[in-house]
Order: sequence, then structure tokens, then C-alpha cells
Amino acid sequence: MQMLMQTIVTGLAVGGIYALMAVGYSLIFSILNFSNFAYGGIIMLGSYMGFYALTLLHVPFAAALALSMLGAAALSFLNERIAYSSLRKRHAPSLYFMISAMGTSIFLENMVYATLGSSYNAYPEIFGQSSISLFGSTIGKLDLFAIIFSLIAIYIMNYFIQHTRTGIAIRAASYDSEVSQINGVNLSAVIGLVFILAGLLAGVSGVFLGMKYMAYPTMGWITNKAYISAVIGGLGSLPGAVVGGLILGVLESLVSVYVSSLLRDVFSFTFLIVLLLVMPSGLFGKYLEEKV
Amino acid sequence: MLKKTKKTLAVLLIALFALSLAACGSSSSSTGTAATESKEPIKIGHEVALTGGSSLWGQSEKQALEMEIEKINAAGGVLGRQLELIAYDNKADQTEGVNVAKRLIGDKVVAIIGPAQSGVGIAASSVTEGAKMILIGTTTTNTKLTVNDDGSVKPYTFRTCFIDPYQGKVAATFALNSLKVTKAAVLMDVGSDYSQGLSQYFKETFVAGGGTIVADEAFRSEELDYRAQLGKIKDAGAELLFIPTMQKEAGLAMKQAKDLGLDCKFLGGDGWASKELIELGGAATEGAFYVNIASLQDPTIADWVKEYAAKYKMDPVMPNPVLAVDALKMIVNAIENTKSTDSTTLAEYMSNMKDVQVLTGKLTMDPKTHNPIDKPAVIETVKNGEFTFYESFAGK
Repeated sequence: MQMLMQTIVTGLAVGGIYALMAVGYSLIFSILNFSNFAYGGIIMLGSYMGFYALTLLHVPFAAALALSMLGAAALSFLNERIAYSSLRKRHAPSLYFMISAMGTSIFLENMVYATLGSSYNAYPEIFGQSSISLFGSTIGKLDLFAIIFSLIAIYIMNYFIQHTRTGIAIRAASYDSEVSQINGVNLSAVIGLVFILAGLLAGVSGVFLGMKYMAYPTMGWITNKAYISAVIGGLGSLPGAVVGGLILGVLESLVSVYVSSLLRDVFSFTFLIVLLLVMPSGLFGKYLEEKV
Repeated sequence: MLKKTKKTLAVLLIALFALSLAACGSSSSSTGTAATESKEPIKIGHEVALTGGSSLWGQSEKQALEMEIEKINAAGGVLGRQLELIAYDNKADQTEGVNVAKRLIGDKVVAIIGPAQSGVGIAASSVTEGAKMILIGTTTTNTKLTVNDDGSVKPYTFRTCFIDPYQGKVAATFALNSLKVTKAAVLMDVGSDYSQGLSQYFKETFVAGGGTIVADEAFRSEELDYRAQLGKIKDAGAELLFIPTMQKEAGLAMKQAKDLGLDCKFLGGDGWASKELIELGGAATEGAFYVNIASLQDPTIADWVKEYAAKYKMDPVMPNPVLAVDALKMIVNAIENTKSTDSTTLAEYMSNMKDVQVLTGKLTMDPKTHNPIDKPAVIETVKNGEFTFYESFAGK
């Protein structure tokens, strides 16, 4: 029983990070209808920014987090303006966006290799090596903080999109960009804003990933799991991304312990395929077309 | 603005195509007959990871070889000819490894030093064997590098390090005899030949010596979170956790194990040998042990380490550089003694090498397996945040 509890807690800790990144994916998918594979690169750079803020500038943790969020938001915005906006203006099919995104992702990874090198950068220990007991299972303080902070960040994001004027514009644009433009929505500004919001989340994810694991050039790989979480939850749906992330985290953890850690991905991905066969648009998805 | 971007894009694309064409370069270009090139340098290929996760060792390996070749050339070269190192980046990737091997064969090198990864070496040997090209793996400890699946030796493939069974055996023997543990768990990387091989031989020796494997767990390469597996290991009551992975995974695993309150000893293989292990694992790595091929504090190589440090203002990243230099010394010795650069002659000579002086000691090749006989191993431990020499395991 204690083992089961521990497994679920562990799964939630991992799933919380998946959820945070998945929300960024879903946010962009909801408005541009393509999967932004460059997002992993933005998260990676966010993680590096946090690392250098802490180790070179020696700023307090909160300031490092803020710097990383702002930096990642700026990068995300630039990513859209440089790599996607001209495609968008020419009404290119979403396949072209994805190719551009993959290119950006490879570019960012190799740029870091070339300039910062391939070494693994461990964050300074902010919470120490302390863990606390929760219902008889152990959880690292950092994990607990990361889950809580992630959920708050996602909640604020969701509130902003559901209840503010700008949020309504974003949602309108995500349903039909043409019609929303006719109704006076500045589409370019809205899209820029969405990328900034996704960038802010990327900064948070990057710093948490860095603290939990480390910062290194290919860390964007883990965003594959976030992408899968977004698909499970239904691409484009923010609550779906959260639920998808948590489900994937807990599922992986359970399979590792009770089936076989060797077969973890086999089981997890079989589950994904079966789920998509039964519910092609994921748990909360709205769109069916052009989901890649 | 748009036009400009378009232009830049076009230029970039053209550059990319040009690069990729250059990369596939014509391998048929001849470099002249043996008679006319006799005063030309002797080319030695180096298949090495210069970018990517293994580049830390790869860069150091290349620097070590450059330093040695500079010395040999300054002393008059080999058979009156200068040596020339041709190094290509294989990114520690199997596909790239095969491409690099093909390029080096096209460049008509005498022999190839590297790669450092067993998986890459096994893949590369599939093309070098057919081309009768000598390939000498550096830290490739997997047995399958030099022998085929049916047990026959690959005539042109060698290595300068010990093999996984030996390393696994050393680890298990050390755990049983020196650490006196009887209940061990294993956490390995299922995507790596190295990790799988090491864990298999550790388990065999440990069980044969009277120990029990209480948990046998795995993760996939590039995975970062092992808490689920570690929770199970904790539940099984392991006294020792054997983590036969690279430094990144091992450092994270130890840190996460301590987070979960797993109180046991940690043991690993030569993949741990990077300061990053301590940076990533933090305080959790204190007191951990690992088997290594060579130690910075090993008195045999102390002078060489000093020389390297003086030239490059940093310590060599162990153990790759010393094994690459061993390979270079093997090649030079073979060329000098056979007065030939013909690969078949050289390979035959290397198969029967006996007591040849190399950097790490005397090298004797087993003609049946192309593994060096009785290579010494060292056990290192982490003490006050530094790798420290613990004890040495002389060849049986």
C-alpha cells in the first residue's frame, strides 16, 4: 500500500513537469493548429538562462526564475516572428510550420553545442537534499514546490484566457482566425502574445527541469513526453494538457513498478495508441483535422 | 525585409547542400600509388565524438593524440615519414560512426583509432572489416567489438581496454569481498550495449559468489527520472546499488535515491569517470565506488598526465586519452617492426603482440579474441567531492 502511494506521488511529481510543458504546446496548437517542436529548444535555453543567472549573476532564486521566464518569452516571441510569421502571412499549410519548427529546434540545440559546449550543468542546490513525508511516502521539497507552482501558473494562465478581454480575443482567434480578424482582433498581436505566454511557461519548465535534473543541450528531448501528454489530453485544450501530463507521469511510474521498468515505454505507448483509437481527439480535444 | 529573409534563406540552403555534398565526398579519389607516396605522411584515422554528450572525452582523446604525434614527428616520424592525424566527428552515434569509418577508408588511412563507444565500434567494424581496415577501439569494453557472434575473431579489429566481463567481474568481486554486501540491486540503461553487458556480467559473478540480486531495474537512454525504479529498489532492501551507466544517469540516480531516503552503497563502471558525476549527483555521490580503466593518480602515467596538463592547461578526461595513446603506440610499434603500412601485415603482427611498451604498461594481445591480456583495473571512490584512487585490481 505504501509502495503504491509512493509510486503515485512519484508519478505526480514527474507528471507535473510534463503538464507544465504540455500546456505550452497546447497553447500554441490551439491558435496556429500546428505542433511547435521548437518549444523544447526554448525550454532548454530557459533552463540555461536560469543556470547562468544563479551561477554567474548570483541573483536569488526568484529573480533567476523571473529572468528565465522573461528571456524564454522573448525567445519564443522571436521564434514566431522569424520562423513562422512569414509562413502565416502566406497561408502556408501547417506541415510547413512544423518543418520550420523542427529546423529551429535543431538550430537551437546545435547553437548551444557550438557556443556553450556539451557539458551537463547542475543547478546549485536550492532546496538542499531534503525531502518530506506525505501520507507515508517521501517527496522531495523541490518536487512539491514544482507541482504547486506549476499548477498555480497553469491556473493563472487558464484564468487569463477564460476571463480577460485579451483572453477572449485569443480564444476567438483560436476558433476562427479569419472571422476574428473581421471583428477587429489584431491577429498578429494575439499570436505574438500567445507565444509570449507559452515562453513564460517554458522559462518555468526550464528552471524546474534544470533544478530537478540539469541543463544540457539535448534536454529538449523530454518535451516529447510533454507533447504526448498534450495529445492524450487533446491538443489545444489546456485542462487536457494538465490531465494528460499527470496521467502519463503516473502511468509510467505504475508500469515501472508493477509491470517492468524495461517495458515502461512499450506499455505507456500502447496505452496512447489504444486511447487514440478510442478517442481520436484525446480526452478533451476539439479538433480532429491536421493533428500530427 | 521579406526579400532579404528569402535571400538569406536561399544562401543558407545552398550552403547546407554544399556541406552535405562535401560530407558524402567522393571516396574513390585516389592518393597515388605506394611508390610515389612513400615520402608522404602516414595517415592515421581517428573516429571520435567531438560534439554531443561524449565530446568531453572525445576532445581530450584528440588532444592527447595530437600531442603524441607532434612528439613522434619532432623525433623524425615513423620509417622516416611524418604521421598525420585525420579526425572525424561521429557524435557517439552508430550511423555517424559507420559514415566516419567509410570516410576514413576513403582517405586511405593506415589504421583507425576509436571509437570509444562499444555500440558505435560494433557498427563501424561491419564496414572496416570488409575493407581490411584496422580499427582499434579505445574504451569499447563490449566483447562483441572484436569477435563475431559465432565466436570467431574479427581479423582487423582490436581494442586497448579490458572487456565488460572483466569489469563486471571486478565490480562484483569488489562488492562481495571488499564491501562485504550480499544483497545488490541493478539499475541499467536498456538502450545501451555497454550498460546491458556490464550489468549481465556483474549479476553472474555476484550470484556465483553467493550474493543475491534483489532488484533488477532498467530505464531507457535519455530518460531522466528513475524514482519509480529506485522506490522499488528501496522496497527490496538492497545494500548496494550497481549503476552501470554514464556519469549523467548515475549522478541523477544517486541524487534521486538519496531524495527517496534510499540508504545503500553505490557502485559503477568506467562510464562514471567524469567530474560531472559529482557536480550532478552532489553530496549523494560521496563514498560511491566505481571501476575504472586508469586513474589520474595512477603512478604509471603520472608523468604523461603532467605533460598533458602543462600543454593544455587542464587534466586529461580519463580514461579515453590514455587508451587512445596506447592504440597509437600499438600502430607505431607495428609499422616500425614490420616496416610496412599494409593493413594485413600490420593486423597479423598486432594479433601476436607481446609485452609491447604502451602508455599504461606492457600490452599483450590475445590472438583468439584481440583483447589485451591482464589489463589492470582500478577502483576509485568519491571523497570530499573528488575522485580518489581506492585500490587497484591487477590483472588476475
